[in-house]
Amino acid sequence: MDRELNGGVAAIPDVSTDSEIIRRAQSTPAAFAELYDRHAPSIHRFAARRLGEQTADDLLSETFTVAFEKLDSFDLDRADALPWLFGIVTTLIKKHRRLEARLWRAEQHADRVHLTTEHSDDALEADLAIGRLSGAIRRLSKADRDTILLYAWGDLDYEGVAVALGVPVGTVRSRINRVRRILRAAAGRLATEEVEHGRADVAPQGS
Amino acid sequence: MDELTLLRKVRSQPTGPTDEALLNGRARLVEHLAWETASSPMAKTAPAKAVPVKTHRGMHTAGWITATGLVAAGVATALVLGNVVGLAGWRGGADAAAADTLDQAAAAAIATSDPVVAPGQYLEVATHAAYAAYVPVPGASSDAQDTVYLESQDGQMYVPADTSQDWVWVRDSGKPVQTFGADSERAAAADTGDTDETVHGVGGAFYGSPADVTPAKLAALPTDPTQLLNEIYRTTLGQGQSRDGEALVWIADTLRSGIVPAAVRASLYKAAALIPGVTLTPGAANLDGRTGVAIGRDEGDGTRQEIIIDPATGLVIGEREVLLKDLGEMPAGTSMGWTAVTTSVVDALPAGVAK
Repeated sequence: MDRELNGGVAAIPDVSTDSEIIRRAQSTPAAFAELYDRHAPSIHRFAARRLGEQTADDLLSETFTVAFEKLDSFDLDRADALPWLFGIVTTLIKKHRRLEARLWRAEQHADRVHLTTEHSDDALEADLAIGRLSGAIRRLSKADRDTILLYAWGDLDYEGVAVALGVPVGTVRSRINRVRRILRAAAGRLATEEVEHGRADVAPQGS
Repeated sequence: MDELTLLRKVRSQPTGPTDEALLNGRARLVEHLAWETASSPMAKTAPAKAVPVKTHRGMHTAGWITATGLVAAGVATALVLGNVVGLAGWRGGADAAAADTLDQAAAAAIATSDPVVAPGQYLEVATHAAYAAYVPVPGASSDAQDTVYLESQDGQMYVPADTSQDWVWVRDSGKPVQTFGADSERAAAADTGDTDETVHGVGGAFYGSPADVTPAKLAALPTDPTQLLNEIYRTTLGQGQSRDGEALVWIADTLRSGIVPAAVRASLYKAAALIPGVTLTPGAANLDGRTGVAIGRDEGDGTRQEIIIDPATGLVIGEREVLLKDLGEMPAGTSMGWTAVTTSVVDALPAGVAK
C-alpha cells in the first residue's frame, strides 16, 4: 500500500472524497474497492487491536461488504467515510464478545516482568498501570468501552465517535469523560499526583 | 503520562494487515461487488437510490448534534484557558424549584441515619441498569439500518463492614429489557447474552483496578457545597458536553455507586443546587418501579441528564439520560441509559460467592 493512513487522516490529498466514491459506487459497484484501498489498513489496525490479527483479517472483507450493502446509510454530506466504517466494524466486533473478554483478561494478567531488563523504572510503572487500566476497561459497560476505544484506538474525534455509534455527540462527551475519570483512578499513581496538586488550587470562596 | 496516553500503549499499535490479508480481503470484496453488479444491475442505480435518502443515522448526525458539539468544544476551551477555580457560586445556580427540592433532600438525608453495617455484615448495593445496544436486525436485508434495544447491566455489590477487606461483585449477564418496534424485538430475541460473573476485589479494587468511588475518596471531599462544586469542576475540567452538565454527571455517577454516606449525599445535593441550568422535572419521576423527583439539566443536544431522588428520605433512586427528541427508533422521552440503586444490610454473602 502506498497510502499509509495514520489516525484516519489521509496523508495525501485525494482526487475524490469518500462521499464521491460512494456516490459513484451507487451506479458502479466496482468503484467501492477504492474505499477499501483507502481505509482497509485503519479498519484492520483497529480490529486487530481489539480482537487480534486473525479475526481482523476476516473482518476486513466483512466490514466492507456490509458497508456496501448499507450504502444508503452513509450520509453523503460527509466527506470522510471512516467514522461510518468504524461504526460497522464496531458492530461486527460485538459478535466476538467472548474473544474480546478473554483478551482483556490476558492483558490484565500479562507477565510484564521480562520487560524490566531493558526498561527504566518509569516504563515498569507504566506496564503496571496498563495492567490496572485493563482491569478498569473490563468493568466498563459495553457502550462506554466502544466509545473510549473508538476515541483512543480508532483516533476518531467526538463527532466521529457519535457518527460511528449513532448517538448524540453530547453522549459521547459524557461517556469519554466518565471513562477517562475511571481510567485515571485505575492508573493510580497519576490520580494521586493530581489530587495533591489540585487541592491547593481550590481557593476558599468568599460566600 | 495521562490515562489516554496509557490506553494508547495497551497492546502495541498493530502494524496493519499483511499484504496477503489485504489482497485476500480485497479479492473477496471485489468478488462480492461483481456478483452484485451481475445479479442486480439496477439495484444501486434506481432513481430513488441515486438521490441521497437521509436515513435516521444521517439525519441525526447531520443536524442538531454537530452544532452543539462545536459550541460545547468552544466553551470547554474557553474554560480551560480561563481560570476555572472558583467557578461555583457566582454564576447563579439551579432554578428555585430544583434548589428547594435539593435542599429538602439534603435536609432529609442528614436527618436519615445510614444503615449500620456491623462487623461480619455487608452493605448490599443492588444495581439495575440499562444501556442502548445497537445491533444488526437478524435476517433482515443486509442494507437495513442497525436496530436498537436497551440491555440490562445488573449486579449486586457486597461491601464489607471493614471496607479495606474483600468486596464481592456479582455481575448478571446482560439481557434485553426494552425494545422499540418489531426489528428491535427480533434483534433482542436473538441476543445470546453474556455469562454471569462473580469477582472479588480487596478494598473495592475489582479486576486489580482501584474503584472509582471509595469510602476514602468520599471522606476526602470538601463538605462546604461551594468548595465541593469547585472541586468537581476541577475534576471534570475541560471535558464533557458542558462544564455544568459534566459536574451534574459526576454527581450522578458518584451517587449511583450506592456507597455515599448521608452527610456526603447532603453535600452533593447542595452542590447540585448551585449548578446553573439545573431544573426540576415537573411531576413524579418513575425509575425501575420506584417514584421520586427528577433533577436534571437539558444539555441542548436533545438529552437531559437526571438524578432521581426521594425527597422525603433524601435517598438516591438512580440516574438516567432522557431523550428530549426522537433518536432513531427510540422516541422522545426514552431513558436511553439509566441506573437504579438500592442498598440494604445483609448478614452474609449469598451462597456460592464466598471466596
